[in-house]
Amino acid sequence: MEFLAVAIVASFAAIAGAFGVAIVVRSVVQGIARQPEMRGPIQLLLFIGAPLVEAVPILAIVIAFMLYGSL
Amino acid sequence: MGDYYRQPVVFLFDNPNLGINLANVFLVTVAMAIVFFVLFFMSRTIKMYPTGAQNVLEFFIQFIKNVISSTMDWKQGKHFVILGCTIILYVFVSNMMGIPFEMAAKTDEGLKYVWWKSPTSEPILTLSLAAMVIIMTHVYGLKLKGPKEYGKDYFRPVFFLFPFKIIEDFSNTLTLGMRLYGNVYAKEVLMVMLVGLGTSGVLWGIFAFAPLVVWQVFGTFIGGLQAFIFCMLTMVYMSHKVNEEH
Repeated sequence: MEFLAVAIVASFAAIAGAFGVAIVVRSVVQGIARQPEMRGPIQLLLFIGAPLVEAVPILAIVIAFMLYGSL
Repeated sequence: MGDYYRQPVVFLFDNPNLGINLANVFLVTVAMAIVFFVLFFMSRTIKMYPTGAQNVLEFFIQFIKNVISSTMDWKQGKHFVILGCTIILYVFVSNMMGIPFEMAAKTDEGLKYVWWKSPTSEPILTLSLAAMVIIMTHVYGLKLKGPKEYGKDYFRPVFFLFPFKIIEDFSNTLTLGMRLYGNVYAKEVLMVMLVGLGTSGVLWGIFAFAPLVVWQVFGTFIGGLQAFIFCMLTMVYMSHKVNEEH
């Protein structure tokens, strides 16, 4: 039962992280395709934005690790 | 890893709240020694026309300078070149330490103690690194802008953002540390699982060899990327504190 809880937390964190980063990267690709000369600033925003989006799924996966470690 | 592998923790004054993980102390010392000696011996022969190791170092410093100048003015950014180099190298070396192998010592009672892994796969270490970075942003904010401007910054652009700015400091510390820990620890867990699978039988050994190599390559990639992101976010948080608003 506890393993199921860990699995649910980890899988939802994976789904959330994947969708969040996918949205960010899609917008970045569209932005660079539209204005290739803005590649540098857009890539900087990618490297700042993707970690920010990823922060909450990372917290969830850390909680999953802590549950897994305390089993 | 769970309860199968244990951490070699000693308690100061027999107080259960003052535990020190000896493996962490050892691994941090090793990481510091690697960074120090590699850079020390690379930078002994500095010449006007660079060759070999000096080329690598100059390329690396230029890379850090680009990272800094993409987030803040060079007037403030010139203070943070060495900080950026230190952070990116230390985090990178720490992430790489667990990739080639991991070591555990078995005692007479059959308990296994982990002695070699990535030191950044411990939350205590990454969180203290993140706390150090955030405290340093406050120190440099006070130093470069003065106490008056630093205090005023909490009420900009509008005064009711003050509570959010306080919360931001704590959540920045938490996410900065937890991001590094989550990535590196996930890498270590999967690596230990693959090794456990591979050593359970000859057929499994053949089956698990290719995924392990793939995962090691991916772990190297993650380690480098996380070191870069840690350095980049340090500079972003630093620029929030030291940049002059107009």
